Amino acid sequence: MATDKNEHLKEVLETNKMSHVDDLLDKYKEKRTKIKEALEANYKEKIYSPLNSGSYAKHTAVNIKFDLDLVAPFKKESFGTLEEMFDDVFDFISDKYGSEANVRKQKVSIGIEFFADADGDVISVDVVPGRELNKDQYNDDNKLNLYVNSKYGVIEEKAYMQTNIQAQINHIKNRENERKIIRLLKIWRTTNSEDYKSFFLELISIKAFDNEDISGSLWDKLRAVMEYIRDNVTLDNFTLVDPGNSGNNVADTLESWQKENLSTKMDNMIDRIEDNSDNIKIYFPINDDFKDDDEDKYGVKEGASTFSIPSRDQRFG
Amino acid sequence: MGENRIVEINSCIDRIPYAEIITPFDNDGLSLKGKILISFDELEKPLEFEVIIGPQYPFKSYDSESIKFMNNNLLEYNHVMGDGTICIHTSHSINLKNKIHIDFLSLKNWVIRYYINKDNDTHYEHLIVPDLPIDDSYYSFIFTDVSHEFKKGDYGLLKLSQINDGKLNEKLVSNFITQAFADQYGKEIATCNWSSNYKNYNKTSQGIFIFVEDSPSTYNRFLFQDWNQFDEQFTQDFLDFLHSTEKMFITKKLRDKLLPLFIGYKISESEIHWQVAMLKIGDFPIYGMNNGKVWQTALKEGIINWTKTRNSSYHYFFGRGTFCPKLAGKRILVIGVGAIGSCVARTLVKGGIKQIDLADYDIKEPENVSRSEYHFFTGITEKVHELGDGLSLLSPFVEVGHVNQKYFEFISKVLYKEPEAKKEFETFLNSYDLIFDCTTDNDLMYVLDSLTLKTDLINLSITNHAKDLVCSFSPNIYRFVTTQYSNILDNDIEDLYNPTGCWSPTFKASYNDIAVLIQYALKQINLTYEKGNSKNSFVLKTNSENGFEIKLEQY
Repeated sequence: MATDKNEHLKEVLETNKMSHVDDLLDKYKEKRTKIKEALEANYKEKIYSPLNSGSYAKHTAVNIKFDLDLVAPFKKESFGTLEEMFDDVFDFISDKYGSEANVRKQKVSIGIEFFADADGDVISVDVVPGRELNKDQYNDDNKLNLYVNSKYGVIEEKAYMQTNIQAQINHIKNRENERKIIRLLKIWRTTNSEDYKSFFLELISIKAFDNEDISGSLWDKLRAVMEYIRDNVTLDNFTLVDPGNSGNNVADTLESWQKENLSTKMDNMIDRIEDNSDNIKIYFPINDDFKDDDEDKYGVKEGASTFSIPSRDQRFG
Repeated sequence: MGENRIVEINSCIDRIPYAEIITPFDNDGLSLKGKILISFDELEKPLEFEVIIGPQYPFKSYDSESIKFMNNNLLEYNHVMGDGTICIHTSHSINLKNKIHIDFLSLKNWVIRYYINKDNDTHYEHLIVPDLPIDDSYYSFIFTDVSHEFKKGDYGLLKLSQINDGKLNEKLVSNFITQAFADQYGKEIATCNWSSNYKNYNKTSQGIFIFVEDSPSTYNRFLFQDWNQFDEQFTQDFLDFLHSTEKMFITKKLRDKLLPLFIGYKISESEIHWQVAMLKIGDFPIYGMNNGKVWQTALKEGIINWTKTRNSSYHYFFGRGTFCPKLAGKRILVIGVGAIGSCVARTLVKGGIKQIDLADYDIKEPENVSRSEYHFFTGITEKVHELGDGLSLLSPFVEVGHVNQKYFEFISKVLYKEPEAKKEFETFLNSYDLIFDCTTDNDLMYVLDSLTLKTDLINLSITNHAKDLVCSFSPNIYRFVTTQYSNILDNDIEDLYNPTGCWSPTFKASYNDIAVLIQYALKQINLTYEKGNSKNSFVLKTNSENGFEIKLEQY
């Protein structure tokens, strides 16, 4: 039976909305506030007020998997080097939360994954330490230097990258069409266990809208963005300028083979969905936890348990 | 042979500008025989050949030309057989005149390349071995690599295992594999690099070896035919060893039994070859000689009984084709060895895989045989054991292990959420480089998908009638596969096969239906590893409406 691609995608977006997980989100926010307060208490005059960032701040979060990001903007004189800053924040967080969370160094952030609480919820917050470029300049320009802890695409480890989180947030303001597509691509990324970064998907989607005539139905728009990625991501001169730093090419966060793979995946996705609209369910699944349908409270569809006859999903081998 | 054919052949050869008939062709039994001279500008003196044309000419027989050009004086040149026949392989033609022209041109090309230019081929050709039965039976010996460097003059004892008997030219052929080389006192110095299954065979037979280093041949092509040709290669120590060994075997009441003598020589800087001659205990080609002071052992004349000897190192065994090294070099686990899993395992082993473990709780019933890699003769038995034995029969290089299926059927499903057990399960699975889940067990698929695996996991299954095959790569197997079966594929669950006597319907499909899809899938998987492509899940869809078609749909 053919699937109505637009209706399906609308339901995908609806069932993946953050509003379905308000209670969980409150827990995240509470943890983030505590971390923010702890950083301010520990670093006192060395730190500016930590800033919420990431997908939730940009309204591109989806409920199936998310974390909250917190930028810790340090003053120029607080640390001799960016590496010292990164290590110091890691040590502080490890001491403070090591007994209740897994704390690990990531590419430019420190990940805090709290052990499951009584409800079984696992809260994750990423802290991104950054240092202003020049003394007392942060309040004027919002610019920060981040420490690159491990190889980030073609950017070597122990390097630094300059960024402006506020400019990144502003970049996606009032772009609701783009946000929908970004959310869909993030749902694809998460449910299909792909590891493309949210920031990359965000920038490439916005660039597609800026460069192509993207209009029509939700599927039309999604397909047009996927076609743009397929046709452009592997081009030699393709760049994705970081709105926080025009010197950063975010396309460089992928190596060339990863770009080739991404292009092939987009090609396969378009072909499969156009071949058979049911395939859209493989790439963009509805979040069954928040689906409004005829399932009973155990999530069992009527007729799923036919007496001793294999069901349609019986595999053989 | 008809008169017309004789006339036609004589007149056809007569018209070849570089050939001259000196003895016209005439009947010689069923064949035709004649003599010719070959002469052309680059050739200093004409060359004479006796030519025999078989009755089947211009057709080939036994993969050989049915025309023979012979000259016993040319034995020293390349591509000349022991009876002086020039070894030519020419193009096919069913037209007698054309074929004569083609074959004479081949002869002329041989003369230019190997007689005038004295070319040496770049690839090594084994020495020509007279292939005769001994006491009305044939013997064959198969050896493989050892991690030992032999030095000129090394000699000692050999341990052998007898494998299956066979038939050759209506006679019995006894087959042996080498197991270990030992010094003259029986202490092992090198074991053969077979799989442990073969290494564990009873070493019931013995032999002797000597490494002579230099090729024991005339013109580097014909193996010595008489023992006295080894005069310079067999050392006095070795001859004395032969004498004492023969005495020992006679004491053990083994007189008249045959004993293989492995003679080793270099065929390149890095490779050696062994050729076996059979010795009869009590009739070794030696005698005692008094040199005036002491008695010494000496070689005596006598025809050598050479036997078939084959190098079956991994390199040669799989030389004709394997999976790519990135796949063939993996340590693999196959969970579920039914129709799909058994075919996957067998194909992997045929493709050169050296390490494979199998897991399945099921037993093989007679009705499994028709579409799985099992045999009727073995009766009812555990699938993993029968398949494991079968894989070892196929390849002497594969290590086959069995994994306790309880691990997958019970322990993993009960404890997979418990952190320590989960970690242990992950560590165990990560000890493999690649895992095939061919169980069709959705619960196991879910459990495996929930683990953090560094190893690649591939899930394979088919729909009824083997209409489609679903192949999914980790880490997104469960959702991909269940969505395919629940929402996308047309899986006919009405027309199932109901075995009499049990209410457990199974799918309908023949061995051919299933194997064609598995081979296709494995080809695609091999390509993915070979090219380093993205590990995309895929579906193979068949269509029989207008001839059989398989369509690959990559996700």
